[in-house]
Amino acid sequence: MHAIRSRGSIDADRMNILGISAHYHDSAAALVIDGVPVSAVQEERLSRRKNDAAFPLLAIEWCLEHAGLEPEDLDAVVFYERPMLKFDRILTCALRAFPRSWRTFPEAMKSSLGDKVWVRGTISSYLGVPARKILFTRHHQSHAAAAFLAAPTDRAAILTTDGVGEWATLTVGHGTRRTNGGGTTITLPREVRFPHSLGMLYSAFTAYLGFAINEDEYKVMGLAGYGRPTVVDKVRRLIHQTADGAFALDLDYFEFHSTATRSYSSRFIDLFGPPRPAYEPIDLSSADGRRFADCAASVQCVLEDTLVTLARSLHEETGLSDLCLGGGVALNGLANARILTESGFSRVFVPPAPGDAGCALGAALYADRIHFDGPDRHIPDHPFWGPSVDGVELARLASEDGHLVDRCEDEDVLIRQTADDLTAGRVVGWMDGALELGPRALGHRSILASATGTEMRDRLNREVKFRDEFRPFAPVVPIEAADRYFELPAGGARLARFMSAVFRVRPEWRTALGAITHVDGTTRLQALDREMAPRLYALLQAYGRRTGVPVLLNTSFNLSGEPIVNRAVEGYSTFLRCGIDVLVAGQTRVMKKVSGASRE
Amino acid sequence: MRFGETETDGGRDILRAAEVTSDPLLRRLYLVHAIDELRHGAMFRQRAASLLRALRSSSKPMFRADWLAPGGHGVDDLEVDGESDHSMLAFLHLSEKAAASRFTVYREVLRDDPSTYAVFDEILHDETFHMNYTLTQLARISPQHHRRHIWRARLSRLWKAYLRVASALAGVIGTLLMTGQYFVLMPPFAWLAKRAARQERPGWTAVAPDARDSLTRQY
Repeated sequence: MHAIRSRGSIDADRMNILGISAHYHDSAAALVIDGVPVSAVQEERLSRRKNDAAFPLLAIEWCLEHAGLEPEDLDAVVFYERPMLKFDRILTCALRAFPRSWRTFPEAMKSSLGDKVWVRGTISSYLGVPARKILFTRHHQSHAAAAFLAAPTDRAAILTTDGVGEWATLTVGHGTRRTNGGGTTITLPREVRFPHSLGMLYSAFTAYLGFAINEDEYKVMGLAGYGRPTVVDKVRRLIHQTADGAFALDLDYFEFHSTATRSYSSRFIDLFGPPRPAYEPIDLSSADGRRFADCAASVQCVLEDTLVTLARSLHEETGLSDLCLGGGVALNGLANARILTESGFSRVFVPPAPGDAGCALGAALYADRIHFDGPDRHIPDHPFWGPSVDGVELARLASEDGHLVDRCEDEDVLIRQTADDLTAGRVVGWMDGALELGPRALGHRSILASATGTEMRDRLNREVKFRDEFRPFAPVVPIEAADRYFELPAGGARLARFMSAVFRVRPEWRTALGAITHVDGTTRLQALDREMAPRLYALLQAYGRRTGVPVLLNTSFNLSGEPIVNRAVEGYSTFLRCGIDVLVAGQTRVMKKVSGASRE
Repeated sequence: MRFGETETDGGRDILRAAEVTSDPLLRRLYLVHAIDELRHGAMFRQRAASLLRALRSSSKPMFRADWLAPGGHGVDDLEVDGESDHSMLAFLHLSEKAAASRFTVYREVLRDDPSTYAVFDEILHDETFHMNYTLTQLARISPQHHRRHIWRARLSRLWKAYLRVASALAGVIGTLLMTGQYFVLMPPFAWLAKRAARQERPGWTAVAPDARDSLTRQY
């Protein structure tokens, strides 16, 4: 262990572990000190490049600076997967597809041999840490650790699933934490291997429907609400249950395992019809638009059925009441809700960053608890591990540009003013405290608006987010009031803590909450606990006192194609470029008065 | 579509410049510029979509020799956070100038296609403004040395063009070598890999306990 001597009065030995995920999509860094996370941030939030997969130097620098550490203070740097094992899979798949893989082979080799397999050297050269301090978890171990070790449970079944890690695409197992120190275990005894992958199945449909793979899967889920699962039988030709209870894809319908240019094969097109060109808008009143929506609904249905079957079997096998879900597929809120209600588990935990970004944190926690046999620690149950916002910076910028700036030192006044804004139908950019880790804006970098009426939804899609009209918005509601407006099953509030599940809006509220009610009567709500985001909670209460309904529309603070904002200046530039009326950062409130920019 | 991508990427770079500059006037101008570029991206995409619909052609990837083209403002080797205001302005001025001259040619060539002509015409109008304001602002913040900054930016663009050509050439050589190896060395291994694949059964794979033991292994 490394003794931190420069931390004022603290002179105890501390274990400093840096977790890193990088090179494929959504790279991130996380720092764990003495078994407790102190900082974690995605590279895209700092580099301002959406889904930045580069080695996360900025994120690492910020994590270390935030904790007042130098690289030499680190006891271990943990990479979230095993690069040589991943290379083994890439090379093997290229060989299996010989000679069809002749076009992809050179690119795959250049990419892998260029930098991706030399991770130990890369980390060592960037950070100056000796190679012996650099460790590697397995990709799904990282997912499992992120899901289990950060969840408030001592024993749980674990199910991780994504596109692919090294070889594994889905793992099952269980974890145990011992609060009296040491002995934490994560056991993943079985896995499904590439190319049989639920994530790749869903991604193939994502590509077929004209969306971007690894980015737009949630659009497929949104589109599914407009369709009916009329082609489920066809989708089931693509995937079948194996005799041992797992699943397998019929690879004749796919090409993702043999080429890099297309996910699905000509047989897939013969089965489902021509794919949607990416440049064509989806017209749900046309036959093609309905066909695409039906395809989305059908693959969604099959994914849910498969996951529920696997989870039910895992429940019967382990007899545990808690389930931790990890991996990118755990972002599918419809599937998570069905797992909760149909698999037999009483509680389902999904971390705020179940995808690869969260693996940075998972890898660091895994090394601490399992490799170094560190004692179990309580991990704060929130996603706010990133940089904090500076309201003074916003006040300076807005004053320079002649906007109306309020510095409200009285917290209550700021909350009242903001609640008045929302009641008056204004759209509010809301920046508070530390940035979230993960893809969801959970109350620290949010765009807030009234949840009443479909006009607000249309206005936000048109003037603020500049995105497809079929995309739904999510609400945030105090946890105590959630059941009044939404049909939450037992355990639903927990899943709604990090917006991890989609539930039905109560029929009597669907019209009143039109801005957040999807066409199928569902919504991906956030049930807010006061302790997690007290200012937003106070705002919801104040808004509720004015309108009688403490429910706000809560969408991520970014524009289409951009990462969620981090610093005040990024929130400010977003505020100037779209139809947000009011911007709040810390104690600063800015109203848009004049154009922030002109050609004169 | 690619013009659209370039303009959008450039817009994001310039937006970043607006976020990092400490000069309020430059921030406002960069913001106008970024909004223009993002709008141009949308215009190009809309027009391209109309043309593709009309042509009913597929959007298969084609040979892309853009590494030979002069650097635009969407190049990904621009590290906005590390650039000073004067080097950013000089870079933008030259990029806009190059873009304006190219777009003038495209506009004239497309006189028979009024819709596409109108897109280039509108964008060209904006590019002229961008070209002028960047020069004016460069002269404001660095009155003594603004010509020197422009020359430096020219040399930098030349160097980046060389790097683009060199890396593209290296890429071609690498691809040829890898393709050669693929067909010469890989067939026996491919046969073994296929044979092994045939013996694999889909479904669960048991993970040996020793595979989870050491975190020092990369394999």
